[in-house]
Amino acid sequence: MREGMDRRRFLRWMGTGAAVVSVPALTSGCAARSALLHHGPAPASDTYFSRFGVDAPILRRTLEKALGRGGDFSEVFLQHQIIHMVMLKDGQVDQAYTRVSLGAGIRVLKGDATGYAYCEELGEEALLAAADTASAVADSGGSARPTALAAVPTPNRYPVAVPWSEVGIDRKMPIVQRAEQVARAHDKRIIKVTARMSDATSRILIANSEGRLLEDDQPMALLVVSCVARDGDRTETAGESRSARAGMDFFSPQLIAEVSQHAADKTVALFEAIPSPVGELPVVLAAGRSGILLHEAIGHGMEADFNRKGESVYADMIGRQVASKDVTIVDDGTNGRQRGSINIDDEGIEGQRTVLVEKGILRSYLHDRISSRYYGVAPTGSGRRQDFRFPPIPRMRNTYMVSGPMDPDEIIASVDRGIYAETFSNGQVDIGPGDFTFFVTHGRMIEKGKLTQPIKDVNLIGNGPKVLETIDMVGNDHAMFSGAGSCGKDGQYIPVGFGLPTVRAGAISIGGRTA
Amino acid sequence: MSQELLRRAHEIIGSARKRGAQDVRAYIQRYRDSRAEWRDGQLDRVRESTTMSLDLELYVDGRYSTNSTSDLRPDALGQFLDETVAMTRLLAPDPHRRLPDPSRYQGRFEGDLQAHDPRGVASLTGSERRRCARVLEEAVRSGTGAERIVTVSTSSADAEGSWVLATSNGMEGSTRFSNFVLSAEVTVQDEGDRRQRGASFCVTTQRDQLESFDAIGRDALQRALQGVGARPEPTGRYACIIENRYVRRVLGGLLRPLSGRLLQQERSFLKDKIGEQITNPILSITDDPHVVGSYASRTFDDEGMATHPRPIFERGQLRNYYLSTYYASKLGLEPTTAGRTNLVFKPGTRDLTELLRAMGTGLLVTDFSGGNSNAATGDFSVGIRGHWVENGRIVRPVTEMNMAGNHLEFWNNLVELGSDVYSYSTYRSPSFRFVDVQFSGT
Repeated sequence: MREGMDRRRFLRWMGTGAAVVSVPALTSGCAARSALLHHGPAPASDTYFSRFGVDAPILRRTLEKALGRGGDFSEVFLQHQIIHMVMLKDGQVDQAYTRVSLGAGIRVLKGDATGYAYCEELGEEALLAAADTASAVADSGGSARPTALAAVPTPNRYPVAVPWSEVGIDRKMPIVQRAEQVARAHDKRIIKVTARMSDATSRILIANSEGRLLEDDQPMALLVVSCVARDGDRTETAGESRSARAGMDFFSPQLIAEVSQHAADKTVALFEAIPSPVGELPVVLAAGRSGILLHEAIGHGMEADFNRKGESVYADMIGRQVASKDVTIVDDGTNGRQRGSINIDDEGIEGQRTVLVEKGILRSYLHDRISSRYYGVAPTGSGRRQDFRFPPIPRMRNTYMVSGPMDPDEIIASVDRGIYAETFSNGQVDIGPGDFTFFVTHGRMIEKGKLTQPIKDVNLIGNGPKVLETIDMVGNDHAMFSGAGSCGKDGQYIPVGFGLPTVRAGAISIGGRTA
Repeated sequence: MSQELLRRAHEIIGSARKRGAQDVRAYIQRYRDSRAEWRDGQLDRVRESTTMSLDLELYVDGRYSTNSTSDLRPDALGQFLDETVAMTRLLAPDPHRRLPDPSRYQGRFEGDLQAHDPRGVASLTGSERRRCARVLEEAVRSGTGAERIVTVSTSSADAEGSWVLATSNGMEGSTRFSNFVLSAEVTVQDEGDRRQRGASFCVTTQRDQLESFDAIGRDALQRALQGVGARPEPTGRYACIIENRYVRRVLGGLLRPLSGRLLQQERSFLKDKIGEQITNPILSITDDPHVVGSYASRTFDDEGMATHPRPIFERGQLRNYYLSTYYASKLGLEPTTAGRTNLVFKPGTRDLTELLRAMGTGLLVTDFSGGNSNAATGDFSVGIRGHWVENGRIVRPVTEMNMAGNHLEFWNNLVELGSDVYSYSTYRSPSFRFVDVQFSGT
């Protein structure tokens, strides 16, 4: 696991290292009665409010208070999140982590301007105080009245048979124990294995001054296995992860075995690696996790806030041909249990599929409420936030390129000398010029149309629009990355997914050390 | 406020012990965070909140867990303790998990670190924050080259609060803190569709220590403009200078493997290297937790252990690891501290202009982009931006290049430290001059 880079947008996977975890109600079935989930007297039989201990009149008064100084729109975002993690190292499950987070974010919009405040208790007094603070973005007095709240039905893309609150740690420990056994047994050069499994459940409730009332339960499951291997005086490390919006049944014996074997395989494979070359070479991106390239090379640049402000290289490019007709790129919130899938975004807009590039033509930005109003277009369901402490901003969900016409083997065979990029740890983009990087932890040389020696630990740097233009072969083997992608922007980290078919791009600068 | 938080910390420790925890460490923080963000002559966002959170480490029957919650109402907290203590009991015992020896709590630094500026805090109202952000934008727009500006975003932010740490074996400490931030981000038009962004910011614990609006504004605009027309140079091995405030990006790859966790997990290329010559002897770095006015300064660390200045590298020799009580015990070493604070360097005698002259031809690196460093092998590869330099003079901007090396070789190519220490970061670093570094470009 590598540490991510500092500021600017970057993408890291394998979790944040910061927090992550939840506490289990140990006795199964007790969670619904848990004080962790219960706040004040709850109106019985009201599914919307019972979890938060607030009712419609309180929300209404909060929304009204928030508009008290002339704002045009107000919103309350309630969230209760529990994260649990168990960790195995040196052969023992010797550490656990739990994080409980409860609060409400109040947002007021006045034109394009945002007022934001949050509170960590959900009593009326605290809610009204936060609403008053957020209302200060406007100062014209006068007050619009919020519309009466009405529940809006939402889809359910990630139902969980048994809620995480009913799964005790006793059922989680065997997962990391099994993962360690498999990884260790895989190769005798493996000297250390760490495994961590985490689950998260985030319940959100959104109410706004337009009268919309929505809720969602957002589960997440994650397994990360990391290995250290030694061969003579060489030490190598690598890891593998799997993550999805799912419950306990996600962790099948097959999945645990696959993650652990891949982690071990990837680690010992590095002993065969030769030093990476340096200079400009053509790059073939392996299907699946190479989708990080799209995330950096175009995804961030299509987030509408950067374009509304004129900061992005893509700000004047809608409708223009930016890639070959074989290139169609989508950002999709409806993609099953992928990490970036959402029933609703964090402004209460239904998750949807947004075509960024259609047959080479730039089609749509990713919008939040502010930008969709600015551009006069329908929102795309891309307003996301890390948690109640942050206002929503345009973000990616699952970003991928759809399959093209080529056989992946033909794509590799077409390259005389180049790089085949397989596994990545992190990437970053500089929005203005569109220059982006991604760090390849595992790759192969391509020589005379054949995959040859492995290479490792090399940064690739290119320009987004230029690289898109050079994509001249698109494979018919689209795949999604199934590991734990996280994306950071403005200090907010959110889960994302990405994918790609095998793709050939033009020359990219390879930061290796041998000619 | 600190006294009230300490009282709550002790109360929580008592509750956890009543439920079966033998030892407990509790950390509570409460702070207010306010900011005004301004863009192109208008208010863009205002944010303000007060937050409180509890972090709790439980030692139960030789087992260990860490837990955190923002829901501190008595009922919820009781349930939280019930569940976390019970959960901890199910883990494997770990004999290396224990609180620090109480002697390590003694001998705290007693000077004034100037972590809190009540007058500065009192001077910042909502309208004052907006004024600062507005004036900062004006400073950006008054700079040379402002006609290229596409958009400017600025912000004025500040926070004030307290945090306390208490343990069941006698540690008790509290800190009252404030910080003040000014930041400016500007986008200018480059060739074709390209834009260039430049950002500059300043964080201090005392309001009157902030850099001037003009200095921050000029710097942000300059950083945006210097990217205009940038292109990669040919691949090659070149001399280079890394600008003071960005040294941290590459130095981080040398320092991270000093952590106890990576050492104990066999993930550090600096394992068993205490006393060895790792870098050119001109490099000396001290971790100094007592730098006055730095937001990273502290009199006790996250475990409650009293902090002390420690040499990390002395004339290029590795002197200390960052070891918590736990990983020190696992490694059979004495704990130091797990938390990096301020890094203080022994500077050179020449400023950046003189370093450029000494370098003659090569690259001046003024920012990094992406990349990574492998802690187990020391290999690194990072994207860079900056300038091509000839005869000691900047001749053209550079982008889309990578710099690569191995830390065990790279730091021997360090030939000079500048005198230009950057004092607004926890890395109090001057600019560094290297010879013979691998760059990839065209």
